[in-house]
Amino acid sequence: MRYDVGSLGDFPEAGVRVVDAGGEEIGVVRWRGELFAVRNVCPHQLGPVARGPLRQRLVADSVGDPRPDPDTPVLACPWHGWEFDVRTGRPLAGVARVRTYQVEVEDGRVVVAKR
Amino acid sequence: MAYTGPRIDADVHHAWRDDAELLPYIPTRWRQAVADRQFAIGPAMMSYPHTAGVNKRLDTYPPIGGPPGSDVATMQRQLLDPHNVSRVVLGFDVGLNAAVANPYLALALVQALNDWSIDRWLSQADDRLYGALLAPTHVPEEAAAEIRRVGGHPRIAQVLLPWNSLGRPFGHPVYHPIYAAAEELGLPIAIHAGGGEVAMSTGQTAAGGVMPTRLEFHTVLPQTSQHHLLSFITHGVFERFPNLRLMLSEVGVTWVPWLLWSMDASVDELRRESDWVRRLPSEYFFERVCLTTQPLEETPQRSQLIELLEAVGGLEDVLCFASDYPHWDTDEPNYVERRLPEAWLPKVFYENARRFFGWDTELPPAATSAQAPA
Repeated sequence: MRYDVGSLGDFPEAGVRVVDAGGEEIGVVRWRGELFAVRNVCPHQLGPVARGPLRQRLVADSVGDPRPDPDTPVLACPWHGWEFDVRTGRPLAGVARVRTYQVEVEDGRVVVAKR
Repeated sequence: MAYTGPRIDADVHHAWRDDAELLPYIPTRWRQAVADRQFAIGPAMMSYPHTAGVNKRLDTYPPIGGPPGSDVATMQRQLLDPHNVSRVVLGFDVGLNAAVANPYLALALVQALNDWSIDRWLSQADDRLYGALLAPTHVPEEAAAEIRRVGGHPRIAQVLLPWNSLGRPFGHPVYHPIYAAAEELGLPIAIHAGGGEVAMSTGQTAAGGVMPTRLEFHTVLPQTSQHHLLSFITHGVFERFPNLRLMLSEVGVTWVPWLLWSMDASVDELRRESDWVRRLPSEYFFERVCLTTQPLEETPQRSQLIELLEAVGGLEDVLCFASDYPHWDTDEPNYVERRLPEAWLPKVFYENARRFFGWDTELPPAATSAQAPA
């Protein structure tokens, strides 16, 4: 099923918006012009992961030298802070993924595809 | 879902909306100093800032404003109503105010917090709201007086000790006036993790030196309470106060078998220095002590957690469910339910706490907030 979840202009750059797609809450992230969609359910304790902060991943090439990585947008669950790469749904630690969906722009409209 | 019965939540945190809400409860002699910001009464400066900027679930900010835990309606909507919670025990934002460095201010703040809690929360029509009274631990005799001052309120459920102010574990005789007063009023003691994480606190957090990061701080939370439990037993607190009960809050669970085995194994050799420990330490433990479930250890497999918990028999009669709402490391009731053995759930969610708090009569079915307007 495909769901029209709003106009592209409703989705600001470097932001996340939680939308309804067929009765399911989905977080749509716009990052460097690209769109990503994740289910608003954290695999840990089922918290509203897409209502947490969207940040650049913090990486450290050596001890005591952290830097933000603008290539990796990360959502942090507002409950326990579990972090997920919004492009893939992969966790930065552990194995439990957040579910992702295909999202496209058609004629200026944002469309989420659910299998 | 397997468990549909009522729940008692033994560790929930409530807060005042802003300084103005608490100010009227602060004695006149301190009010001006607080109003002038000579002393902060709001959230203290954290020595271990949380990576999210605040150590709360970010969705618990009330829509009417104020910090998480400051609005009854939000707590009802997020915790009490959806999870069939028939009673909660409110414990401030851990009560770190008792550990501020200035002992005179600490006493004034603690008294104000207790009066505020009774007035603003425990007098609500919603009779699911019970609370801890905060003990001022700089001077144990003052704590005993505070217990006798407010401990008779019908919705006071326990005496809350944040970690120690005096550099001695809580079994030390210097603290015994606190236990005499608590036993006199029939109130259990709760030792809640916390006290060392705010700047200028007198609370001691862990052995081995001050931790520089929150990950260290949070991970070794059980360490200090293990010491306090050991101290309670070796200093004969349970012998001297035969009706006193102890709850250890927010320090996890899976370390219990190790500590009980270690204590029991050495008691014969070491009895010469503490002959008043007349029974096996584990016997005192199972008779007098309860632990809250949160933070329930996150073993990779559920079976590993159960194996750890079942390593020593009887923990199903000791664990009391706690969510720690609205703190960031909360455990959702449904999550706890999925992790524990199904046969344990009626005890852990309800029966153990009911017995521990002396709520012997059958509680009414959990009301919804529609039936019990706040």
